[in-house]
Amino acid sequence: MSLRDFTRRDFLQWSLAAAYGVTHSSLLPRLAAAQGKARSQGACILLWMAGGPTQTDTFDLKVGHPNGGPSKAIDTAVSGIQISEHLGGVAKRMKDFAIIRSLTTQEGDHDRATRLMLTGHRPGQEGVNYPDLGALLAKELGDENNELPPYVSVSPFRFGNIGGPGFLGPNYAPLVVSGDSNDPEARANLSIENLKPPLGVTKESMDRRFEISRFLQDDFSKRAKSGSTDAHKSNYDRAMRMISSNAKGAFKLDEEPAAMRDKYGRNRFGQGCLLARRLVERGVSFVEVTLEGWDTHADNFAQVKRLSETLDPAWSTLTDDLRERGLLDSTMIVWMGEFGRTPKINGTTGRDHFPLAWSTVLGGGKIKGGQVIGDTGKAGTEVVSRPVKTPDLYATLCAGLGIDPGNENISPEGRPIPLVDRGGKVIEEIVKVPVKA
Amino acid sequence: MHLPIAGRWFIICASIAATTAFAAEPAARLTSRELAERIDKEFTAIWLESKIEPPALVDDATFLRRSYLDLSGTIPPVSQVREFLDYTGEHKRFLLIERLLTETKRPERHAERTAAHWASLWRRMMIPGNTPEAQQAVNLEPWLKQQFAENVPYDQLARKLITAKSSEGVMVAATNPRLGTINSGPAMYLQMAGGKPETSASSVSRMFLGVRIGCAECHNHPFAEWKQADFWGMAAFFNGIKSGSIEDSNSLKIRPENSTTDYVATYLGGAEAKLTSGKTARETLADWIVSPNNPQFAATTVNRVWLHLIGRGLTDSVDDLDKASPQERKFLDELARLFVAAGYDLRWLISGICQSQVYQRECPVDEHLAVGPGLRPVKTLTPEQLFNSLEQALSLPVARADGSARFNGLRDQLISRMNEAASNQPDEYRAGVPQALLLMNGRLTTEATDLEQSRTLRGVLDAPFLDTDEKLTTLFYATFSRRPRAEERQFLLDHVRKSKEIDKQNQACAEIFWGLLNSPEFVLER
Repeated sequence: MSLRDFTRRDFLQWSLAAAYGVTHSSLLPRLAAAQGKARSQGACILLWMAGGPTQTDTFDLKVGHPNGGPSKAIDTAVSGIQISEHLGGVAKRMKDFAIIRSLTTQEGDHDRATRLMLTGHRPGQEGVNYPDLGALLAKELGDENNELPPYVSVSPFRFGNIGGPGFLGPNYAPLVVSGDSNDPEARANLSIENLKPPLGVTKESMDRRFEISRFLQDDFSKRAKSGSTDAHKSNYDRAMRMISSNAKGAFKLDEEPAAMRDKYGRNRFGQGCLLARRLVERGVSFVEVTLEGWDTHADNFAQVKRLSETLDPAWSTLTDDLRERGLLDSTMIVWMGEFGRTPKINGTTGRDHFPLAWSTVLGGGKIKGGQVIGDTGKAGTEVVSRPVKTPDLYATLCAGLGIDPGNENISPEGRPIPLVDRGGKVIEEIVKVPVKA
Repeated sequence: MHLPIAGRWFIICASIAATTAFAAEPAARLTSRELAERIDKEFTAIWLESKIEPPALVDDATFLRRSYLDLSGTIPPVSQVREFLDYTGEHKRFLLIERLLTETKRPERHAERTAAHWASLWRRMMIPGNTPEAQQAVNLEPWLKQQFAENVPYDQLARKLITAKSSEGVMVAATNPRLGTINSGPAMYLQMAGGKPETSASSVSRMFLGVRIGCAECHNHPFAEWKQADFWGMAAFFNGIKSGSIEDSNSLKIRPENSTTDYVATYLGGAEAKLTSGKTARETLADWIVSPNNPQFAATTVNRVWLHLIGRGLTDSVDDLDKASPQERKFLDELARLFVAAGYDLRWLISGICQSQVYQRECPVDEHLAVGPGLRPVKTLTPEQLFNSLEQALSLPVARADGSARFNGLRDQLISRMNEAASNQPDEYRAGVPQALLLMNGRLTTEATDLEQSRTLRGVLDAPFLDTDEKLTTLFYATFSRRPRAEERQFLLDHVRKSKEIDKQNQACAEIFWGLLNSPEFVLER
């Protein structure tokens, strides 16, 4: 950790305080403490299920109860744990995953729930601009010397376009990779917008432009050095490195054997998971891959089957692939949406928004798999044991990556904002090396 | 500089409550020139006392670019740079400020551009961030622009925003369908602020009183002493606002959801409100907010204008005057009194600040080493300023029929990408890699640096009367609004003259143009 953990405004206040001979009450001790903080290693891949995935037809089936509907359960590699028949690949690898069936939250609106689940904090009015999970983890885990930014978001789709680095600022903003469309021709098209120099501009010409730009940057810095000048320079340095190195070839999915690409699934989500593995291999700390379409108010069962057929091979292959490369123990995979769906089936064979009792799945990293946490009873309408709230989940995500859940960031107002909202406790039984919250 | 929290609160509460002290010293109306002198006198004393060596006054070129960007939101055209640098008459800086603020003649229509720029700044302060609501609030700008163009006194402008009703404006469909229908007039403000009594109370207190009470909605404010009762007392004024419909009710009470307590409309830090004949709760609140006896309103306005002109508020946190030091607060209150005496005249305020030497000083050579009141930080262009400046530098067409970037989606693309990383603070550059890549490799830059397509390059390179040196100078005028300095000229001319072939020299000029557009001096303001 270094000075960059403090916003420039902090620095300004601090220099002012120093200049006027006044000790700032809280900043200086914090500065001293931050210098000694050790960086943990690891990465996180978030499989974001936009729209709110149904738990009753994926990981918390209610076979034999009217709420269960036509969904069938199958046995998994762990005796006693059953999941949906459409998730056969995940079932075979159940020893790697811990299912939390007792998540309970209060937000039933897409925007507010997305904000809650992606920042770990309840959305406030004109309050703190909370960083999202990617930004938080990028800051904890990221290596600033890497040519790729620490936080990459693959064809994101979030209700209300929520997310981003919040008050942590642009160094932790996601690099957005866009897949233009999901159509067969464009499937390999996951790329960074504007990364390639314009057609007809040679590498030599690009290098000359960089040289001129650097000269002008240095010249400007000599006359008006400032936080903004420095931030501009570091941003351009990073962008130039990415252009020159072509982002280390991370985006050249055609380097992968065709059979491997097939296994992930020739669709945007599948190829996004493959890209996630390539990015993690190259030192990226947080990758978000989105599978949208879970807002199944109508025709739930057919849609969930279709989504599962995309999800299952991609997730399974990703797990195997990370394991084979020795990365699974340091890379946590999180399967999550903004809320679950009503156990009761509605009049249009659909399920509606349901935050009271729903599921999320963690694997890899320091997560101890092959377990189920919590229970939602026969009907699935409420948590009957081991309720897990958002702060508990966030504490567990930290622990799964070896991050101290007690860590905090300083908002521009100088307020310490903890990674984990008040009261969050690690679900110790699913973490290999428990960390006390 | 840093008072304990409770101390700050007493200052602000005392200043709200003891309104008589404020009213007791009515100020005489100063001219804008006299305002400038008053500002300079204050800072001369501050700098002397704090042993700060103020930076030198800027040269004409820097002043020209600075005032163009700060007032009309764009860099000047090449012709204006040449004219201004060559002009030898007196008072040229003052004349420029007055033209930018008031000239309505075609083709420049400076006053209109200035009104549009300030409408955009004000909208950004009113609905901050990059939420769908903030994006939709762009549609508030035509109304705001008209107010600024007519120089409507700011107390009247604020009153219209606080009391506007959905039923009095034209309802139109929002661009984001999730937002339903929206009011195209001033009622859009409270609608986009959240369309609820709570969000209205929070936004109006922040925007017009410089007080952050939003935290007190759910719990007592962690820093200042604002209580839940203060928050709900303010929210009660807005109790006629329901799910985005901005109307009034007959009651002065509000009951928060899941609560059994009723709160009565109460002025922030003051007394319970009483309705006078024929006035709505919001009109009553507006009377209190914009009253000359309310020191918060004028002080927070002056601080906001100062922020945008100088780059940092007279007190740093424009949304939270609770944080001002007593010294900062004292001068802010004095300027506020002068602003009231001048009839809440924004043009007068802007003109006075721009005429001051404080406004016309260089940024410190190293901001990290020289921090102090009144020193100007390097500013980052807003997304709109950046687009306007690119339009100017690239000589882009403005008419729809010519395929203008204003209409073909390129403006929207640039602004929305920049919005992803825009800051509310002018002194903060927040852009990340995607923003840099767009400026480096995006279509606007690509076309602008292509010898076939670039209007600027064609204009400069095809001009038979310009030699290489003058071509370089013109590219500097187009982007940095100044002549190249000796080292720059040396380095860049060497680059051009590496080759004798005219094609390669032209290519080198295109590379230089790219470098200029992608340098900090283009996207920052000093």
